[in-house]
Formats: sequence, C-alpha cells, structure tokens
Amino acid sequence: MTTETEATPTRDLESMDDIIIAENVDKWFGDFQALDNISMRIKEHEIVVVLGPSGSGKSTFIRCLNRLEEHDAGRIVIDGIEMNDDVRNLNAIRSEVGMVFQQFNLFPHLSVMNNITLGPRKVRRMPKLDADALAMQLLERVGIPEQAEKYPAQLSGGQQQRVAIARALAMQPKIMLFDEPTSALDPEMIKEVLDVMQELARSGMTMIVVTHEMGFAREVADRLIFFDEGSLVEEGTPQHFFENPQEDRTKLFLSQIL
Amino acid sequence: MVDMPAQNPQRIVLPPHRERARRPRIVRFREWARRNLFNSRAGTALTIITAAILALIVYGVVYFVFVDANWRVITENRWLLFAGGYPMDQEWRLWFSVMFVFLLIGLTYGTWASLGRRDHLFIVLASGFAILLLAHGGAAIWSTIWYLIAVGLLYAGYAIMIRMPRDASRGRTLQQRSVAGLLVAALPIVLIVLLAFGGARPRELEGFVLNLVLAPVGIAGGLIIAIPLALGRASRMRAISWTCTTYIEVVRGAPLLGWLFVALFILDDVIGGELIVRAMVVLAVFTAAYMAEYIRGALQALPHGQSEAAHAVGLNQFQSMQLIVMPQALRISIPPMVGQAISIWKDTTLVTVILPLRELKGNADSAIAQFEFTPDRIEAYVFVAVVFWVVAFIMSRISQRVEGSLGIGER
Repeated sequence: MTTETEATPTRDLESMDDIIIAENVDKWFGDFQALDNISMRIKEHEIVVVLGPSGSGKSTFIRCLNRLEEHDAGRIVIDGIEMNDDVRNLNAIRSEVGMVFQQFNLFPHLSVMNNITLGPRKVRRMPKLDADALAMQLLERVGIPEQAEKYPAQLSGGQQQRVAIARALAMQPKIMLFDEPTSALDPEMIKEVLDVMQELARSGMTMIVVTHEMGFAREVADRLIFFDEGSLVEEGTPQHFFENPQEDRTKLFLSQIL
Repeated sequence: MVDMPAQNPQRIVLPPHRERARRPRIVRFREWARRNLFNSRAGTALTIITAAILALIVYGVVYFVFVDANWRVITENRWLLFAGGYPMDQEWRLWFSVMFVFLLIGLTYGTWASLGRRDHLFIVLASGFAILLLAHGGAAIWSTIWYLIAVGLLYAGYAIMIRMPRDASRGRTLQQRSVAGLLVAALPIVLIVLLAFGGARPRELEGFVLNLVLAPVGIAGGLIIAIPLALGRASRMRAISWTCTTYIEVVRGAPLLGWLFVALFILDDVIGGELIVRAMVVLAVFTAAYMAEYIRGALQALPHGQSEAAHAVGLNQFQSMQLIVMPQALRISIPPMVGQAISIWKDTTLVTVILPLRELKGNADSAIAQFEFTPDRIEAYVFVAVVFWVVAFIMSRISQRVEGSLGIGER
C-alpha cells in the first residue's frame, strides 16, 4: 500500500529513493491511541518539518523511527531495513539515525569530547585518535571547538544543544531526527542552534524536525506535515501551508501560533 | 543602632553592617552575646543552665582522661588490641599494609580532591591517632618513625597526583583509571600481603586488624553483589525481579546478629572452612541487600532521557548500563552508601559475640579479663569507641571530599 497522496508536492527530490517508509503505523499508550494509521514516505535529502499541538503524536512518531517507542501495528522501513524485533536490524537502524532531544540529554558525567566520541568508539570501534579528530571537526562545524574539554553543565543551553547535534552527527547518520530542539532554550540561544540545523540541511542531510519555529519551517523545509490527535491531517510545501491550508484544524493551529 | 556622625563631614558613612564590622572584636562579641545568648530573661536562664551542664561534662571528661583513668590497660595491651594473635615476627606485613593504605589515601585525594587547611589538620591528627596508639609495644621512637613515614607517603602520593593537569585530557583519564584500579586492587593486595607466602593463617587475624579486614570485604563484596541485585529488582522479567526482591526483603528482615548465627551454625555445611570466611560472606550478603536498594533508588532518580540518548547513539542495553546509567547511579548513591559502609564498619564488632573471632572489641574484653586490669573496663571501652569513631570519621570525611569533586559536570 503506497501513500503518495496528491498532497505530496512535486520537487526535484522526486528522483531520490524513499529512505523512510511508514505504512499504517499505530501506537497505543494503554487505552490512549497516540498514532492512528500514519503513512508517510520521506526521500533522501528531504527536510520534513512536523507541526502540531502538544499531544498530537508528532514526537511519538519520530521516536518510533529509531524505536525509542515501539509501534504496535503497521510497518516502518528505514533505508531498506525493516524495523522489527530483530536486534541486528535495530542496531543497524540506530546507527543510521541520529537524534537530538528537547532536553539535550547530554551525558553529564562525560566531557564534551567524550560525549561525542562515545558512540563512534563503542559502536563503530573507531580508534580513539580518529574519534577525537572527528569530534574536533564536528565541534568546529557547530562552532564551539574551544569547549571540547568542558563538561555539559558548564555550557549554556544553546552550546549544549550544539554538542548534542555534534554527538548525533559523530555516528555519521543518514537521517537526523530533531525532537523540538529549541523548545528548552532561552530565546537568545535559539538562533545559534537553528543556524547549525540550517547548515546541516544545506549539506544534504535527511532531516525530520519537530518544531514550533515557523521561520525555520518556512525557510528550510521541503515539506510540512501537520499532526493532530494522532492523525496525519495535512501535508504540503511551506507555501501551501502558509498561504493556502486546506483543513480547518490546520488553519486553527496556524492562526494560534503565527 | 549605629549613631550617624553627621557632624563630622570627613567620616565616610558606611552601611550599618559595614559600620558594625569596623568596631573592635570585643565589642562585636559583646553584641553577639547580647543578641544570641541574653536576649530575654528566659534566654539568659537557658544560657546559664546550658553553660553549667557543659562545664560539668567538660570537667568530667578532662578529669577522667587525665586524672582518674588508668590507661595502662591500653598501653600494656597495645599489641593485643591491635593485632592479637597475629604472629609477631610477621609484623612487617601489617605495617606494609598500613603504609600502602596511607599512600592510597594520598593518591585518592590528589586525584579527585585538593587538600584544604582543615584537611591537613585532619590528616595529621587522624593518622597520628591511628599510628601512635596502635604502634606495637610502646617503642615510642618506632611509633614516631612509622607515623612520619605514613604521613610522608600520604603527602608524596598527594603531591604526585595533584600535579597532573585537571582538565579532561588523556593523561588525566589515565591517572584516574590507574588510581581507581589501585583502589579496587587494594583489598586483594592487602589480604595477600597479610596472609600469603608465609604470612599469618586466616584465624590469626585478630584485634583491630580483623575489623580493618572484615569491613572492607563486607563493603566491597556487598557492592559487587548489590549492582546485579539492583538491576535484577528493576528488571521487567518477573522471575528475576521476584528473586531479587525476595533476597532483599529476607536479608533485610532479620538482624545482622541473626545472620551471624546462621554463619556459625548452618553455613558450616554449606561453605565450611574458616570462620572468618563465613563472617565475610555474611557481612557482604547483608550489606548487599541495603546497597541494592540505594542503587535502585538512584536508578529511578536518573532521567529517562539518559538511556534514551545512549540508545540513540547506538549503544546496546549493556553498554548503556555500563557507560551511562551505572556511573551516574553509583555517584548519586554515594551518600547513603557511605552511611551503610560506616554502619557495617561498626557492626564488625558483632562478629565477636557470635563467632570465636577476636576483633578489637573482643580483645578489649580479653584485656579487661586480666586480673590486673579488671577495674579499667571503662578505659578499655572508651578507647575502643574512640578508635571506631576515628575510622568512621575518616571514611565520612574522605567520601565528602571525593563526592564534592565528583560533582564536576553534575546537572
């Protein structure tokens, strides 16, 4: 069953392969249905921004994409790897999917350097010197090479989130998931994180971003997806969304946050 | 309260608290006393009564220590209290172990904490007490030499370690790893030095030395058992979780004294052999039940995002536990763990009641059983109490410092 709906815009991405395929995904928390029959395809290099009110299932959905939540029904395929109970598949998927959390979730007992090198060294068995060089390169990319020897608690929120991005990138993932990456930040620090994300988008990373930053969505996204009450309500280009939304729920949501 | 010297234009007018601070100490003290000690009629009465009681206590203690007490019960029995039946000709092994421990304390301080003025005072006094009182047979010159060597080693270890750069560099990691490794290896090393290659037989460990061996074995063994126990109790698999819960509830449900009886009467058939080994097993098993609960509490206190982030960077369940969750959980549980360690340290005295193992308190009993010293039991027990207090205080002090410096990078 394919879900190439008519709402999917035509872009030059069309020629790319689908790197994420979700078909009829359901997720229940006890009696509460968090995801209701979600189907979606995402192409390589595509930037998808997921919108929706809190409790709409948008975070749950992207957490299903690296199995921080297990979906109860339907199918998820990441880069040709089926998401199922097979641990080898799971490990393969997790090393291809990087994730950035709202609360950063840096490891407070490790230095910035060790936060970043942990994954490559322990999972990819990269020699320490190579991992350190990679980490320095990534820290320069996110603009804070001078913080390498500090501990997370010594950094500002924006710096912590940039370290978290570098940590995810260190595994050299094909896909990056962002779960409200700027929601826990002070306003003056939001831009430094968005800048890094924008640079990442330009470099051709496949990104799925849950955010309320409409400026980012408008500028960077190839496609916007609107969730409400566990369902995928509407999807389309930024232009479609901001100028001509179809569904009433989308209009209501946009009127509330714009 | 401050009279404003408005008529003198040259004087700078300070805010009231600065103004107060400028006055001579005696005036400030008088004011402090008036505010805190004699602020009302009832306050004055309470102050006087408390002062009288305090004076009585101090007088009593001073009179007992310096006039009334006959400390010969300690000085004559120093070796009995210190090592008891440990073969005298192997004494160097004891001193080697003591020196090793002092060196380790220095290395630990140098790696994870820095010494402040109060620490220096504490080290000099505590080690003075530990060594001077326990040095054998009254040769004051040797006690002094041992004391100087021990403190010297402590400071040498500290001086070497404190010079290492304190950033998160590779050298620092190596330094921390080696000292941590040495700490882990310390107990086996000491046991080998004491017992192996022509050393004493296990049953010859006695007196203070026996306490010093039993408590660390109980603490380290307890910790080793406690970690899988805590994880097991938190496990989602019913059989494992129930087994661990049962262990914890059963072991905590009976007093240590009861378990030592078990060691004496029942464990004979199970492990047999040396009484001291049975006592060690019971102490470790008992401590583990408590420590497991502290670790479980810490595991629950840890934000869920930590293991999620670990999984998101690709670590498997075991790696996430080993590298992310456990290190943080163990750090959180240091304070209650130290409490448990101090508690088990004091509980090593119970061994004497049940097993014919002669630890410090047991040998103090033997000391006052001698006809000559029968009237001096208070002296003997006061001495034992002070020895236990000093060691407990050392443990608490060191752990506080290490805890403080481990706080780096805490959220």
